[in-house]
This record gives sequence, structure tokens and C-alpha cells, in this order.
Amino acid sequence: MDIDKNIKELSARLSYIKDVVAGGDSDNLRILGGKFQEFLDREPGLSPPERQRQFTQLEDMFIFLEKKLDAELSPMDKVRIVRHPQRITLKDILENVYDNYTEIGGQDEYSIDPAMLIARAYISRKRGGKVVNQPVMVIGQEKGHGEEFRNGGSVKPWGNAKALQYMKVAETENIPVHTYVFTPGAYPIEDYPGAAQQIARNLYEMSGLRVPVVACFSEGGSGGAEAIGLADTRLMLSHGYYSVISPEGAAAIESGIRQGQRAPAELIEKCAADLKITASDNLRLGFVDRVIQEPPLGARPEHYEFFKTLRAEMIRATDEIVLQVRGVKLLRAMALRGREGQTADVDNMQVFWGLTQTQSDRLIWRRYRKFREMSKNAMIDNSSVAGRLFSQASGLGWSVFSYFRHDFLLPLRKSVWRTVEEAQAELHLLKRKAISEPLRRIREKLGPRSIDPEKQQKLTELSCPEDGVCLTDTGWNYLSPQAREDKAVTCTNAATHGCMDMWAPDLFGDFAGVCGHCGHHFSMEYQWYLYNVFDPDSIMEFNSKIESGDPLAFPGFQEKLELAKKKTGKKSACMTFEARINGLKLVVAMLMAPFRGGTVGAAEGEKFIRAAAWARRRRLPFMAYVHGTAGIRIQEGVNGVIQMPRCTMAVRRYIEAGGLYLVLYDTNSYAGPVASFLGCSPYQFSVRSANIGFAGPGVIKETTGIDIPPFYHRSYYALARGHIQGIWDRREVRKNMYQTLLTMGGGNLYYR
Amino acid sequence: MRVARACERLGLDFACVYTASDEQSGHVALGRQLRGDASVVRIQSYHDANEILSVADHCGATAVHPGYGFFAEDFRFARRVTERRRKLIFIGPSWKIIQSLGDKINTKRLARSLGVPTVPGSDRPVYDELEAEEIAATLFAFQSEQGIEKPLVLVKASAGGGGMGIEEVYTIDKFKNVYRRIRNYAKRQFHDEGVLIEQRIHHFNHLEVQILGARGGADIVHFGTRNCSIQSTGRQKRIEVAPGFAPAEVSYNFDAAKVLGDIVDHSLAIAREVGYDNAGTWEWMVTPVGQPFLMEVNTRIQVENGVSAIVSKIKGQGGVDLIAEQIRLGLGDAMGYGQSDVALCGAGIEYRIIAEDPAAKFAPWVGRIDRFAWQGAPWLQMFTHIPLDAPYEIPIEYDPNLALAIIWGKDLAEAKARGLEFLGGVELAGQDPVGSPLRSNLSFLREKTASILEFH
Repeated sequence: MDIDKNIKELSARLSYIKDVVAGGDSDNLRILGGKFQEFLDREPGLSPPERQRQFTQLEDMFIFLEKKLDAELSPMDKVRIVRHPQRITLKDILENVYDNYTEIGGQDEYSIDPAMLIARAYISRKRGGKVVNQPVMVIGQEKGHGEEFRNGGSVKPWGNAKALQYMKVAETENIPVHTYVFTPGAYPIEDYPGAAQQIARNLYEMSGLRVPVVACFSEGGSGGAEAIGLADTRLMLSHGYYSVISPEGAAAIESGIRQGQRAPAELIEKCAADLKITASDNLRLGFVDRVIQEPPLGARPEHYEFFKTLRAEMIRATDEIVLQVRGVKLLRAMALRGREGQTADVDNMQVFWGLTQTQSDRLIWRRYRKFREMSKNAMIDNSSVAGRLFSQASGLGWSVFSYFRHDFLLPLRKSVWRTVEEAQAELHLLKRKAISEPLRRIREKLGPRSIDPEKQQKLTELSCPEDGVCLTDTGWNYLSPQAREDKAVTCTNAATHGCMDMWAPDLFGDFAGVCGHCGHHFSMEYQWYLYNVFDPDSIMEFNSKIESGDPLAFPGFQEKLELAKKKTGKKSACMTFEARINGLKLVVAMLMAPFRGGTVGAAEGEKFIRAAAWARRRRLPFMAYVHGTAGIRIQEGVNGVIQMPRCTMAVRRYIEAGGLYLVLYDTNSYAGPVASFLGCSPYQFSVRSANIGFAGPGVIKETTGIDIPPFYHRSYYALARGHIQGIWDRREVRKNMYQTLLTMGGGNLYYR
Repeated sequence: MRVARACERLGLDFACVYTASDEQSGHVALGRQLRGDASVVRIQSYHDANEILSVADHCGATAVHPGYGFFAEDFRFARRVTERRRKLIFIGPSWKIIQSLGDKINTKRLARSLGVPTVPGSDRPVYDELEAEEIAATLFAFQSEQGIEKPLVLVKASAGGGGMGIEEVYTIDKFKNVYRRIRNYAKRQFHDEGVLIEQRIHHFNHLEVQILGARGGADIVHFGTRNCSIQSTGRQKRIEVAPGFAPAEVSYNFDAAKVLGDIVDHSLAIAREVGYDNAGTWEWMVTPVGQPFLMEVNTRIQVENGVSAIVSKIKGQGGVDLIAEQIRLGLGDAMGYGQSDVALCGAGIEYRIIAEDPAAKFAPWVGRIDRFAWQGAPWLQMFTHIPLDAPYEIPIEYDPNLALAIIWGKDLAEAKARGLEFLGGVELAGQDPVGSPLRSNLSFLREKTASILEFH
């Protein structure tokens, strides 16, 4: 009977190989299949020992071929491996890596989101003869072995919300978090709280989570992966992938096909290779810390040895994190490091995983530094060595200066002022009682007052002649080139609202691209905002020498990038500058749609982070103006996606230091940036023209199969579901910005 | 119709537009009669600039006359006409003048900068509550000092218009309340918190000064004044009289001749300042004590231009047609005469004959007109778009204006007598869909003729 079971397993192994190595080594496979069939045919007539011998022989052949194929796996093969129903899942890991666990919330499909699995688990370790159970919070996507309700590990917004909730629980309980990333990407729907919004919240909270986080990547599909992937140590399974976009998605974009069509298979294979998505690529590029070797052709539930390795690695990673921020650690840290190629005996040593306040602070700072260092070489920094040194020095100078000015002088000045004001108030009262009141009484006795001739003059003569006779200021500082055409423009809502056609110079000139009848906002260039929102001549750009690069040498991308640079005259999609609104200074990071769709890559992320630091050092409000962004720049691979946690951490650092961070969306704002450093702002506003969301309608249809209602991403829907906090008319952006700066300023904000 | 006639008189080619519901209108028939079928073009709406301009291109027009309404004071239309790729001449002042005089605050400040009297109050949007209250308080004191019994202050949204966001205040105690209400309304409605605070003048005569300027803005003449104080309850003009006052025949509590002279001089001062370069009307209010205030400037030719024309003579010649003059100057002709060549003699009265019911708050009447006739006279000019040989259905989309009658007399007494004579001879009959007889304002006009130009 035993042999039957073994044969069954072997048969499954064969079909697995056929599945994952599509068209790879077909000759070898055919031979193996033939041998297997031969064995099956012969098997009933064989004596048990002979049967066993032949079976072992066959099994060896399997092992040999698996090893051979494993060495030749293409990146796309690995994608097929992680997507295969026989791939290990989080449930298998819970069973085999942890010593006991309780799943929290949900039994199969009866769960708020069956794709997100949370468990309170513990790991038993021995110190001497004593067994210690160390609890951890395990959070990760559950793909299941082919169960449809798992949604392939594609998590809905509320699934991510639940993950966040239990991360906070872990924080309260002071236990580490182990996350397992098994997702092709987040489920891109915008129902409350919205895919983008929730991922942004997760990132924001995780960047300040006060307990150690270890993430283990098997399938890291862009935004969905980031929702639980921001960790102190990031491990990766050797056959996994971690990518900005699925190879199919990248191929669809590269080939420019329409919705519903399929990209050619070769292109998908090519994109998988070009995107540098494998574990070794990610290790080399520094996005993961270590790779855990899997058995040939990927780990499956029966690979118990692999689970042991995984367990040891997870414990070791957690221990390391804790020891790095702890004082007494020397011996154990050395033991953990072990010798090259050897795993430490983690089960027989003891590290307590709870952290004290200061240790947590240190942990968060290390986490920030870690992500700050990533993708640093993925952009072109044209500034000279002297320039860099100078900017570092001036950064330091500003830090010292603003500490002196705001934390030392300001309170001093405030207390002095208060004393003076009080004294003046006293004096005023005295003056009134002694002088003004008696005088007034005398005047009243003398007779009725006539009107002050000066006041009367004010009623009939020109007031403030120094302002000029003509007060009306109808002109904008910047005239859109669209306003120079002699044509009539039909409003999009003409059919439903009965808007008259407008003359382009009126519409794009005086009306600022807003239909005078229904208020529909036509798109405007970013220059319009640049010159009409901020005070004239107040814009001072900085870090303009940082330039978008092509870190992965993505085929054909260099030319496209050059073209974008030439067309826009900009070096990246992000412009950072200091500007003023009615004299109030602020720092702005602007994402410009004309430069590669406003996509965010390493250069844009770096500029954003430096702008946040600039604002923090100078104690200025910080505004992200999103003229448009299509998401993360896929041609930069994980260099792009890593900007999500990086920039979010920079934002958090800025906000926690007391800054005011505002976001204003203008046209189309989608995907990664919205799901991270933009979406995490507590003050997000939009111009009426904006579409805001995680994925565009086409992608939603493609990935989920559902038809979304019309106007799904319109700003009004974003407002209704709580993503943004207000919608502004384009003509009033300047006024509203000023108003916002005034009303949201408080004692603890920088610029006050 | 009058534009078409003026073109005919100047020997210019023209085309006119009409809408489906205006098909029976006289201007269509006149256009056909004068220039043939191709010169009348049907359009969907009088409001659609695209349509009008494509008609202009189709007909090969070189200039556009905007008529009296809609586009005549729309600087955007004027700008579009003159700045589009196929440039046309806009018969009216240049668009910059329309824009600057179309803004009431701007006009007020312009007037004050030239020492022209304007309604007491603020000449800029007020944003500060304390400042607003101070202005209101001074305004109340100012009015009581002038002997006004019931002082009133008007609070209005500076960005508003057309009667929206205006409220009266009777006492200073109520002011704060009203101010806040208007400010919030303005913020909600116009996205601007600014309010204007002005004296409310209840009892006044509405006077106008007719100005004509040649292109270039250097050559400006006036054609005297008009009094348009006889109005419907909705402040729509019903009788216009030239000149504005008749000091020789009616007694006033003030020096009427001086007031007329002053408002003409003030109007000319502003016109010269902006370089006014076409026909326009300066509207004034004159209080019972003879204090004039500039209300606004209408940067267009008005319906009542005929009453000024009928009392005017250029170089001794009568038969002045101000619309023809407007077109001629608009096309770039030189003025050809100076102020000293313009003589004003006699009195003119213009009646607007309208199908409406003065007893029921001037409610418009809709129906079919079966008979419309009057007795002609050499001192009478009659303008009507109503066909006289067939019944006419009043289109419900537009105002039920039937005719303009302009009467001349060598002095006011003669003009009044002739007016009564004319009104007595008008035959007007019709039926509405339920069979009730036509209602018109003829009796109202007759009744009001007696008190023309009287002001106490």
C-alpha cells in the first residue's frame, strides 16, 4: 500500500514539473515521463523488494532532473512556481514552523477576508533544560492550495486593515511580528477604506511600529506586498519573486495592447527577466537581507527540511533585530552570526523579544536608516562632490539653527512678549479711567456729535488711491498654451448639463479651464499651478541635479527616458522647491504628469525624501502637489516600489517632528504613490478634476473581473469614502491653500 | 429692425439671425425684403456665440452688431469677435472698455478718482467686520444729517449681481446680523466673502446721458439727457423722455439745469478718461434735493436711443439716427462734427407699448394679436416687429414688447398733448388661448403722461 502512496506523490511531482517548467527541458521531461510510465506498467508484476529498488531508482532520476532543471529556471518559471497550487502556503508554514498557533478571525471563507491570515503563534526554545515559549504575531496572505475563496492571496482593503489592527495589537503586547508575503498584488477596489488608502495607512503605521518586524517574501506583488512588507529584516525565499508589477502587466504596458488582449508569451518571459524580480536579483540590489534556499523547483508542503531552515532563519532574524538594539548581546550576537554557510543553533539559545521604550526608538531609527539607504544608486546625482558636502553641511547647519531658533529662542521670546502685553493692557485701562472717560463725558454735555469729516470722506471719496483705481485682477500670471487656439470647446457635460460651447481663450485663459456653467474642470498644465498658486517669483528649486536613471538597464527605456527629458526639459518627474503663498513660506514636492506619466522611481523618491528633510530642517509646511501620477515607474522594478516605504517613512519622520504635510491631487493620481506617501497624509485635498484610486478601471476589470460603476475614481467619490478631506475649485487653489495653512497651523506646527 | 434700417440707410450689406419662435417677427420680413432670402439665417439660440459667428463667416460678414441685449455688454463676446482668427469688427466699444466699465466697483472707483459723485458707501469689497460696522454706522449718521427720515443701508455681496445677495438694514443694531448673513451667503454662492456697504436711495429720478465716441477714443460728443423714471414695479422702463428735466416748464426744488449740465460733464469726463469709442449710456440717479449719483455705465446702444435722436440736430439737420451713427463710427469713420454742431431742441417722449397687465404687477400677457393700428403723424415714429396685415402670436420665450412710439413736440407741453392724442388713437385687440381679451399698458401710459418730468 505504501508504494501506491509513493507513486501518487511521484505522479504529482511529475505534473508539477510539467506545470512550472513550461517548454523548458522537454526532452528530459519526456524521457522521465516515459520511465515513469514504464515503471507503472511493470510495477504490478514486480516483487516487493525489486519494486522498491526500481522505485528508488526512479526517484533518484527525479531528484537528478529536478536539480538539473532548477539550475536552469527562468524568472518566469519562478513566477509559475510561486503561483502553483502545490506551493507552500502560510497555513503550511504555521503548521511546520511554529510550535503552536491560534488563527485569529476567520474559518476558511467565513472571514472578513480569507486572503489575509492572522495567527497568534509561539516558538518554543530551550535554554538549558528550560523550555520557553516566545509568542509572535504572524500575519500574511494565504493563497490556499487552489481554493477559490482565497482570491489567490489578493487582499481586499479590509483584509489589510485587519492586518494593521493586529500589528497594533502586537505592539501593545510587545511581541514581534512575522509577516509572510504571498500575494500577486492587492485587490484593487476602492470600497471603504479603499485599496490605496489602506495600504498607505499600513505603511505609515508600520514605519513607526515599535516591535521587531520580520518579513518573508514568497510572492511579492507590488502594493499588496508593501502592505505588510515594511520590516526590519526582509527575508526572501529563493524561488520567490518580488516585483513592481506582474510580468503580464509589464508586458501589457510594454506592448501597448488594449484591454482584454493578451501579451505574447515571449514578451512576458522577457519582461520577467528584465524586471529583475528573482530572489538573487533582489538580494544583489539590496531590497532583501537574506535568501532562504528552497529545495529544487521550489518548496512544497512535503519539504520538511525546508521548514526547519525557514524556522531557524525567522528566529535568527528576530533575534538579530532585538540584539542590535539591546545592550548585553555580545556572545549571542556572535553565535547568531555563526560561520559561513552554517545556521546557528537558534533553538538552544534564548533572546527575549520584548523591547523597552529606548530600544523601540532605536529600532525605528534603524528601520528608517535601512530604507533610506535603499535604491540610492538607482538614480543619477549630478551634483559635484563639493556640492554634496556643502549640502550635507548646510543641512546640519540648518538643524542647529532651527533648534536654536525654535526650541530655544521662541519660547523665551513668547514669555517676554506675554509680560509686555499684560503690562500694556494694565496701562490702557489706567489711561481710559483717568483721561478718556472724563473727556467723553464733557463732550457729550456740550452737544450732539457731528460726524467725523474724515469718516464722511471715506464714504464719498476714493478709498486707498494708492492701490490704483482698477482693483479687478482678472488675469492669471500664467496663460496656458491651450488658450492661444481659436476654437470652440464642448464641455464634457454638455449633454447632461446643457453647457454652451466655450471659446478656448476664454475657457483656458480667464476661466482657468473650468466650465463656467457646470464647473467641469479641464486638465491644465502644471505650470498653471506653479505660476498662479504661488507668489510670483517666489519659487526656488532645489536638488534639481538629481536625475532619473535606468538602474535595471531595462531594454528600450533609456531612449524613452531621454525623450521625456528632452520633451519636458526636466530631469525627473518630481520637482522640489521652496515657494510662498501670500508671504507664507512652504516646501513643495510636485509630481508632473508630462514626465513619463508622473511615475515615481528612485530619483523622484529621493527628491521627495530630501524635500521632506528640507522642510523639517527649516521648519516649513510641506506640500505634495500631484499634478498627476500613474504610479510607480515599472521600468525601475523594485527600485521604484521601494519608494513607497521609503517616502512614507520620510513623511512620518517629518510629521512626527511637528510638520504640516498637505497633499493636493490634480489630475489622475493612481497606484503606488497614492497607496503610500501621498495617501498617508491626514490632510489630502483634490482639485475637482482629479481621479484618485489604486488601479485604473481597465486594470480592475482585468484583475477582478468586476465591472466598476462609472465615475468610480472621481474626486467626489474619494471624498465620500473618506480618502480625501476636501475638493477645491482650481480657481481657488491659492486662496484655499493659504486658508489651510492659516487654519491648520498650531502651536506644535513648524511655521508658527 | 432698427439695425437693419440703419444699415440700409448707410448703404451697407447685412444679414440677420432669428430663432424658430421668432419666425413671424418683423425683422425677418424686413431682412428678406431688403436683402433677400440669403440674408436671414435661422439659428438655435441667440445665446450661442459659436452659431452666430459661424453665420457671420458663412455670410462673409465683416462686422457684428450685437443688438441691445445678451452679447452687447459681454466683453468676452466682443473680445472673441475681434481676436479670433477671422477677425470681425464689433459694433460697440472695444472689449477692454466693456470689461472695465462692466464692473461696478471698478466704475465707482474710476468715478471717484475723477471727483464724480457716486452713491455714498464703500468702493471696494469689505472683508473685515469691524470696518464694515464702522462704515454702516457712518452711513446712518450721514443720512440723518442730510435730513433723510428713514435712513437705509444696503449690504450686498460684491461678487453678486442681478439682485442676488442684497439686503437692506434699517438700524445699526441689525447690521451685524445682516452683514454676517450676506457674508456667508456670498462665501457659499460666490466663493468670496467681500461685501459692499452703500446708502440705499429710495426716491430718485433715473436719468441717462447719451454718449457717442469715435474709434480711437479722442472724439466724444453727447446727445443730451433722458429721464427714464416712469417704470413698472419691476423697475423696467415704460416711458422715456428727452431731455432729463424741463426747468422751463416744470418747477423743481433744485437747480435742474445745473444738475443736467453736471451729469453731462461728469459723464464726458469718465468717457474721456477711458477713451470711450462707441455708443454708450451713463445712468444717473438724482435725489429729490438734486444730488446726482452715478449708477452705472451701459456700454451699448439702448432701446431708448430714439428719443434722444428725435430731439437732436446735427449741423442743423434733423432725422438723426443714433444706431446708424453707432455703426458708422464702429466701422472706423471719423465723427465728422463736434459738440457745437449738435443741437437739442424740443421734447421727445417714448412709449413702450407692451402686452401686460399693469394692475397685476405688470404680468406679461400671452396670446394672439388680431388688430394693431394707429394714426400716423409727422411728429410720430413707430417701431414694431408685429406684422400689421395678419394675426400675430406672441412667442412665449421673449418679452411681449409690441411697439415703441416716439413723439416729438416743440416743448414738453406739446409733446405731452401729442402723446395723449397718439395713445387715444391706438387700436389694439387680441385674444389669449382661453378667449380673454388682450391686456396692454396703454391706459397706464396715458395716466402717467400727465406727470412726466415732475419730481418732488
